[in-house]
Amino acid sequence: MVNVFQKKILIVAVYAAEIMMRNGAEIYRVEDTVTRICKAGRIKHVEVFATPTGIFVSMDSGNENDDPLTYIKRIHETGTNLSKISKVNHFSREFFDTDLSVEEGMDILREIDREEEYPYMVRTLAAAIVCSFFAVIFGGTIIDALVAAISGVSCYCFSIMFRKLNVNSFIRCFFCCGLAALIALLAASSIPDASYDPIIIGTIMLFVPGAAITNAIRDFLSGDMLAGTARLMEALLIAVGLACGAGVVLKVWEMTGGVLV
Amino acid sequence: MTTSLLTQFLYAGLATFGFTIIFRVPKSDIFVCSLIGALGWLTYQVASGYGFTAVMACFLGACTVALLSDIFSKLLKDASTIFIIPGIMPLVPGAGMYRMMLELINNDMSGFATEATQTLLSAGAIAVGLLVMGSLLKMIRMAGKKIRAAF
Repeated sequence: MVNVFQKKILIVAVYAAEIMMRNGAEIYRVEDTVTRICKAGRIKHVEVFATPTGIFVSMDSGNENDDPLTYIKRIHETGTNLSKISKVNHFSREFFDTDLSVEEGMDILREIDREEEYPYMVRTLAAAIVCSFFAVIFGGTIIDALVAAISGVSCYCFSIMFRKLNVNSFIRCFFCCGLAALIALLAASSIPDASYDPIIIGTIMLFVPGAAITNAIRDFLSGDMLAGTARLMEALLIAVGLACGAGVVLKVWEMTGGVLV
Repeated sequence: MTTSLLTQFLYAGLATFGFTIIFRVPKSDIFVCSLIGALGWLTYQVASGYGFTAVMACFLGACTVALLSDIFSKLLKDASTIFIIPGIMPLVPGAGMYRMMLELINNDMSGFATEATQTLLSAGAIAVGLLVMGSLLKMIRMAGKKIRAAF
């Protein structure tokens, strides 16, 4: 016989885990959250296995009449939304400490999941800031910074468009970085004071896989070797995509007679 | 390097600020995140100035970011990933990646090997920095708990 309460707890726990995993949380945090929510529902035996591509949860209340339940959730697209991680983290603690009902918990989670990112314009502006300041840090002039801002905005919009089309991260980084290199080369050949190096580096920094590296290391640290390896490969793939994108455009530019300054 | 340490600090802070928006850091943590990113980059710059290699400087920068993130995550009662992910971004060797690719295009294999090693080691140094600091903090916390339990 299926215990309805147990099933509801399972759904809440898996939903919380899914939100965290899709927004770039570490494995141990996801597993902790599931365990904590299940313990709050007084379920005795809980086993979680989370990887960046899927979550498996199995639980048994220990009563003789109840069947053990298992739920598998496949994770497809992942991004980085640190606010959602923080909120689900707080939610799981609150769920454990207070007597929130399962339905209330589900409502809170739905609200967290619905939460929007910062407005589109603000994010594009942030991309411009990132690119222009990195261009300056890596030896660019004011003009380079301005061009990098333009290239950052266009590449960021481009990458959001790709994300909506569900293109994988390698192709996305490849094309975004290609576009950045093209803009930088056009600027360098038409504006006397601009040089393409800092502009391209500034834009590359926007797509660099810092989050993947960090999460991979934190997964290794807590003993989740499988997840760590998966994330390290993701980081490598993105890095290769970035380098190839810029490389192909630079090479084609050189071959078609454009001069590398 | 023509720019002074102070301007480097400011620029890195503002660049990290941009990342906090893109990664949607909660509003109350944005300032601290930018500060951590800037201090990590400052450590890198100061270490380079004292003659450390880029790899060693990256390691020290990553250690700073990990330590500060842990402290602030305890103070502000939030997950430490929220501080580490934006904070680490300035240290990730994007420039090395680009130069490596440039050498490959110019068919300069020895230059490519140099840059590739440098870039991979820098990325590795970030990893080791986070790893060392993370385990160290974990050990200190465990020891603290044991001592408190003993008395």
